Amino acid sequence: MSDLFLPDVARIVGVADETPDTKTFALRFRDTKTGNGFHFLPGQFVELSVFGYGEAPFCIASSPTRPATLETTVRRTGQLTDALHCLGNGDEVGIRGPFGNGFDVEAARDKDLLFVGGGIGLSPLRSLIWNVLDERDGFGKVTILYGARTPHDLVYKDELKKWAGRSDVEFRVTVDVAEQGWSGTVGVVPVLFDKITLHPQSTLAYVCGPPVMIRFVVRDLLDRGFKEEAVISTFERMMQCGIGKCNHCAIGHRYVCRDGPVFNCAQIRELVE
Amino acid sequence: MQPFALTIWKRETSRWIEKLLESAEVIAPVRGPCNDVVFSTVSYPAQVLWDFENPLNPPKQFVLPQTDPLVKIKRTAEHHEVEPVYEDARRFLFNVRSCDARGIAFLTRMHAAEPADDSYLRRARNLTIISLSCTTPCPLGFCVCSDSGPFLQGDYDIQLTDLGESYLAEVGTEKGEAAVSRAPDLFRKATEAEISQRERLEAEAKKHFGQETCHFASAMRRISTGRVPDALWEKMGDWCLECGGCNFICPTCYCFSVKDLACNGGWTRCRLWDSCQYAAFTREASGHNPRENRKQRMKRRFFHKVSAQYYQRDGMVGCVGCGRCVKVCLGATHMPAVVAAVRKGKWHE
Repeated sequence: MSDLFLPDVARIVGVADETPDTKTFALRFRDTKTGNGFHFLPGQFVELSVFGYGEAPFCIASSPTRPATLETTVRRTGQLTDALHCLGNGDEVGIRGPFGNGFDVEAARDKDLLFVGGGIGLSPLRSLIWNVLDERDGFGKVTILYGARTPHDLVYKDELKKWAGRSDVEFRVTVDVAEQGWSGTVGVVPVLFDKITLHPQSTLAYVCGPPVMIRFVVRDLLDRGFKEEAVISTFERMMQCGIGKCNHCAIGHRYVCRDGPVFNCAQIRELVE
Repeated sequence: MQPFALTIWKRETSRWIEKLLESAEVIAPVRGPCNDVVFSTVSYPAQVLWDFENPLNPPKQFVLPQTDPLVKIKRTAEHHEVEPVYEDARRFLFNVRSCDARGIAFLTRMHAAEPADDSYLRRARNLTIISLSCTTPCPLGFCVCSDSGPFLQGDYDIQLTDLGESYLAEVGTEKGEAAVSRAPDLFRKATEAEISQRERLEAEAKKHFGQETCHFASAMRRISTGRVPDALWEKMGDWCLECGGCNFICPTCYCFSVKDLACNGGWTRCRLWDSCQYAAFTREASGHNPRENRKQRMKRRFFHKVSAQYYQRDGMVGCVGCGRCVKVCLGATHMPAVVAAVRKGKWHE
């Protein structure tokens, strides 16, 4: 490969405000052929360039079943994301990827699926959720549990309503701290486990959110009888190259960018810093 | 290609270097502006040093520059155009020591692993390595512990050995053959006596190593199996000053970050050397840092260099025994010290 670090140019074709500091960008490759050749799995990520500021890894938030645009949800938290938040429709960015292993969609077929998201960590799950819902007949029961710090921090608010309104999806949401006007559940995500019926034997659980949330949710699920192989999470690590070379994301001799970012709990146990 | 051995009179080496200079850039150890020894481009043969202390900076910058341009980003009023940047300059790396030749071999193996890094590999392909074996080991070197010296068994294009009045030139590759064929009249076939003199010099050199030693095998066993007590990493971590010096002078360190540097109204996307000993190396945008503490970072550095997991992947330990980290480490947490502490289960304080 002669172009390991060469990005493809893409245009922003839509920007949605999610929270005061988080936006979802819809991207389309400038070259149609590149776009048609870009195939990915939910859970994979791209290196997104803001020209002049460098590049950073972001998970793909859209589903492969909706290939018209590639979406990614970005919180403004540093130089590059700040610059990205200043861009709008028609502006150009660079894309390298897709990278990482992604979720094994085929292994999820016919299974009951439990999605547990925290904050902006819903973003990689959203890719898989829409993939599943767009091929709804191929999967069992779908349960989505979502938590954020405050109602303001909930992302994809319109889609949360859609999921809540579907009869073929069980959707629950909670916030750590309620604000005026919030009549829903208050508490960290695991409080939602008591509001639903879990079927650990037939269910695959997908957990994504801040590290502390993942830790508690995973422990809870294992305590409730889930097998380690059935609890699947995605790791977040500082990454630069996306191809297992730069060493930022190394855990032992494994690389989150290449061997991950998706790991089940049995694999996570094998990862030794 | 079948390796073969030639000899060249010492007084003829200048003419050889002149011939090489006609066809490509020649890099060699030279006297720097402050009288220190550095690897640098030479413009005439007398600059090339033959008896010198190995430069503090290894020659890795000629295959992996500290700031390595990867992609040119051009900006017009409406568009961005991107194109890869390649460097295709042919170079001779002259009088490089065995450890440094092994360092480049390590880097090349790593960059050739899938997905292959063409930007690096082009530089490596265009580089002819003319090494100078160490008939006298350097005071801080322990290359003999990591199979990286004092003489090379491979990983060179030409290996020179000082035979007194002449140099033995072992030619190991086609690139090496091309370098001697630039001046065929200066070389003659080595005699049996000259080849056995080289064997004697190698055996003799091995008897004269200094006090630095590094028992990688037993440290590897403990590091690979996680049997180094956390308290020991903590103790050693306390001594690390997080300067990153060990990474930057290490012939096998290659960790990097990617940045856009402004250039002619556009940008050049560059790979920059980075250090796994810096806290920011693993700090995520969210603030979460899986290696917040020095002990975690030190553990990481030595896992990468000495574990069986990486040894199996890379085919050698990530250390060529050059002794540079011994020289630069302000906290004395260099390779031989850490390996000894891991092996004995205690820090020296």
